[in-house]
Amino acid sequence: MSLNTTRAKTVGLNKAPVTPPVKASKIKDPAKKSHYFKDLITAFKNGDKYVRLSALFMGTGYIARKQVIKGILVQLLQILYILAIIFYAGPSFAKFDTLGTVEFAYEKVGLNTRINNYDNSFLILLNSIVGFFAIFVFILLWIHNIKAVYDLQKRAEKGRPIKNFRQDIHSLVEGNFHITLLALPTIGVILINILPILILIAIAFTNYGGLDHTPPTHLFTWTWRVKDASGQVVGKVWDNFAQFFNSTNSNFNYAFWKIAGWTLLWALLATFTCFIGGILLAKLINSDGIKFRKMWRTLFIITIAVPQFVSLILVRNFFRDSGIFNTMCSDIGLTKLLYNLHLIPTKDYIPFLTNPKWTKFMIVMINIWVGVPYQMLIATGVLMNIPKSQVESARLDGANNFQVFVHIIMPYFLVVQGPALITDFVRNINNFNVIYLLTQDVYTTHDLKMAAANAKEPDLLVTWLFRLTNENASYNIASVIGIIVFIACATFTLISFGIMMRGNKEEDYR
Amino acid sequence: MHKRNTVSIVVKHIVLGVLAAIWLIPILWLLVTSFKEDTGISISKFFPQNWSTHNFVDLFKETEYTSDGILKYKTWFMNTLVIAIFTCLISTTFVLMVSYSLSFCRFKGRRFIMNLSMILNMFPGVLSMIVIYFLMKALDLTQSHIGMIIVYSAGSGLGYLIVKGYMDTISTSIREAAIIDGCTEAGIFFKVVLPLCKPIIVYQVISSFLMPWGDFVFAKLILGTNSSKWTLAIGLYNMLDKSRLNAHFTHFCAGGLLISVPISILFLIMQKYYVEGITSGSNKE
Repeated sequence: MSLNTTRAKTVGLNKAPVTPPVKASKIKDPAKKSHYFKDLITAFKNGDKYVRLSALFMGTGYIARKQVIKGILVQLLQILYILAIIFYAGPSFAKFDTLGTVEFAYEKVGLNTRINNYDNSFLILLNSIVGFFAIFVFILLWIHNIKAVYDLQKRAEKGRPIKNFRQDIHSLVEGNFHITLLALPTIGVILINILPILILIAIAFTNYGGLDHTPPTHLFTWTWRVKDASGQVVGKVWDNFAQFFNSTNSNFNYAFWKIAGWTLLWALLATFTCFIGGILLAKLINSDGIKFRKMWRTLFIITIAVPQFVSLILVRNFFRDSGIFNTMCSDIGLTKLLYNLHLIPTKDYIPFLTNPKWTKFMIVMINIWVGVPYQMLIATGVLMNIPKSQVESARLDGANNFQVFVHIIMPYFLVVQGPALITDFVRNINNFNVIYLLTQDVYTTHDLKMAAANAKEPDLLVTWLFRLTNENASYNIASVIGIIVFIACATFTLISFGIMMRGNKEEDYR
Repeated sequence: MHKRNTVSIVVKHIVLGVLAAIWLIPILWLLVTSFKEDTGISISKFFPQNWSTHNFVDLFKETEYTSDGILKYKTWFMNTLVIAIFTCLISTTFVLMVSYSLSFCRFKGRRFIMNLSMILNMFPGVLSMIVIYFLMKALDLTQSHIGMIIVYSAGSGLGYLIVKGYMDTISTSIREAAIIDGCTEAGIFFKVVLPLCKPIIVYQVISSFLMPWGDFVFAKLILGTNSSKWTLAIGLYNMLDKSRLNAHFTHFCAGGLLISVPISILFLIMQKYYVEGITSGSNKE
C-alpha cells in the first residue's frame, strides 16, 4: 500500500481520503452469474409489442421510448448491415457447399480469347467465413438490442429517466468508456487474428494445396467431397488429420512425431538454459567486488540489441562448413581431434550447421547466446528485490552459496517469473527466427522420408509449417499443423496458468 | 581470508571477461567485416587485410547498383521509418486503450475478453501468415506500406499484458479521488492514469517502434519482389541470397551495423524502462 500512497502524492490528489477509500473487492465484475439466454427469454415474455417488434425492426423499441435519433440510426444500421451481408457474402454462401464448380479456363468469344467466369475456391471460402462471422456478430448485437430495449421498457414503466441522445453519446466517455476504448482494437484483432484462425481451421478440412488444387487456376473442395477418377466420393472429414496420426501413412506421420519431439525438447532446453544462465550471469555481475558492473552488463546487452536477423545470419556464416570458425578450428587442430574421437564424420571441417546432431547442439548454444542477456537484465531487476534478511539468516544458519541459491534464490525467481516462464516456453515452441535464420539455405536433410515431407531434422513445427506453405504450397497440411500447435499451446498455457493463479489474484495488488 | 577474497574476485573478473569475449566475437566480426575492402565473405582471416569504408559509401549510391536492385539502403530506411512510426502510433494507442479498460473499467464480459485474448495470443503470427497474406490481397493491400502497417499494428491490442500489469499497480483510490473531483472516465484515463504510466509507455513506444526493423517474414511475404518497397530487414536479408553472398556480404555487414546503432540505443533505453515496469509489480510491502 505504501507505493500507492506515494503515487497518489505525486499527482496531488491526496485530498480525496475524506471518504474512506473504497475497497477493491467492491468493484468486482458485475453479474458474475450471467443468465445470457434466460434474460433474452424474459425480455421476450415480459416485453410489450415494441420490444417484440424490435426483434424484426431493431430501431422500434428506441423510437417508442422517444429515443428517436438512436432508433433511426439503429434501424438504418440494421438495414445496411443485412444488405452488406447479402451482397457481399450471398454469392459465396451459395457455393459454400462445394467451394466452386467452374474451373479456370480460356474461352473463345468471336475472335478474342478471354478468361471464363471461373470460381475461386479460396475467395468463396474467405467470403463465406467473413459472412458467417458477420452473421454471428449480428446475432450477438440482436440479442443485446432486445435486452436493451426491454430495459428501456422497464425504465419507462418505473418512471425512471431515459437518456436522450446527447447523454447516450456522453456515456461513451463515462460509464461506457470501455466500449469507446475497445472498439478499434477489437476490429483489428478480428481482422488480423480471429478471421485468419477461422479460415485456417476451415482450410484444414479441404484439399487446398499442391499444383492441382491451388486457386485461381484450380479448384479445391472439402475433404469429404474429394472424388477419385471414377467420380466416387472417397474422402472423409478427418483425412488431413489422419495423415499425421495414422501410422500406415508413412512420411507425414514419420516427420511429424520426429519434429514434435524435437520441438518439445528444444523448448525445454531453450527456456531453462536461458533462465538459469541469465540468473547466474546476473549474480556473477552483482557479486561482491566486481568492478564496472554497468559496463559488463552493457557488453552483454550489445549482442541482443543487434537485430536478430542480422546477428543470426551473421553467426550462420561464421559457423559455415567453409567458414571462418572452421578455419580457426582446423588451424589449432581441434577438427582433427574431434575426428579422431569420432565426434564428427568429416575430416576437414566441423559440420556445425549441417549435421543433424551438431546443428541441434549449435542451435541451443546460439540461442543461449541470444537469450541469456535478456534474462540477465530481468534477473538483475528481480535480484534487487530479494529480501536480504532471508539470505542473511540462512547464512547465519550455516548455508553455503549453493544452498542459498537452490533454496532461496531459485524459488523466489520461480514465483516472480513463473508466468513469464510459461509464455517463454510457448514462445520457444514457436521460435521461428532462431531456427529459420540459422538453418535456411544451409541445412539439407539426408533422411529421405523427412525430405519427402518437406521437413528437416532441426525444424520446429512452425518452421516446418512455413516451409510447407512457402516451398511446397501444402496449405491444408500446414493448417493441420497450425491447429495442432495452437491446441497444444493453448491447453498447456490454460492449465499451467490455472494451477499457478488459483483464484483471482488480480485485485491483491491494489 | 583477505587473500582468498582477492583471488576469487580476480577469478570472477576473468570468467566475466571470457564470457564477454564470447558474446562479443560475432559483433566484432560484424564490425571489422564491414570495413573490409573486397566484398566477399572471408574464410581464412578474422580481420580484413585491406581496410576501406567503401561498403558504407556503396549503401547510399543507389543509382549505380539498381541493376541488381539490391542496394537501396536509403529507400529501405525511409520505408521502414514510415512503417515504424505509424505502427508505433497505432500500436501504442491500442495497447493503452485496451490496458486501461481491462485494468480500470469493470464491465460484463471483461473476464471473457481477457481469457479469449490470452488464447489468441497463443496463436503465433507465422501460423496464420498465409491467410493474412490472402486477406491483404483480397483488400488489395499487398506490396503496399499501408498493408504492412495494418499487419503490424491491427492485432496489437492483444499485447496489453505488460502495460495492464503495470496499471494494476496503480491504486484504485486515485481513481475514486478523481471521480469525486468530478472527472469523467475519459478524464481519468488521460489526466490521471497516463501520466502515471510514463515508464511503461516509453517501453511500449520503443518496443512497437522497433518491431518493423526486425521482422522479415511478414515483410517478405507482403511486400513481395518490388525492391523499392522493401523494408531494411528484407533488403539486408536478400543481400545474402546464395547468388549474392560474394558480392554483398560486406555490404550486409555495413548495413547491419548502421541500423544496429540506433536500434541498440533505443533498445537500451527500452530495457531500462522494461525492467522498471515489470519489477515495480513485485516490490510491495
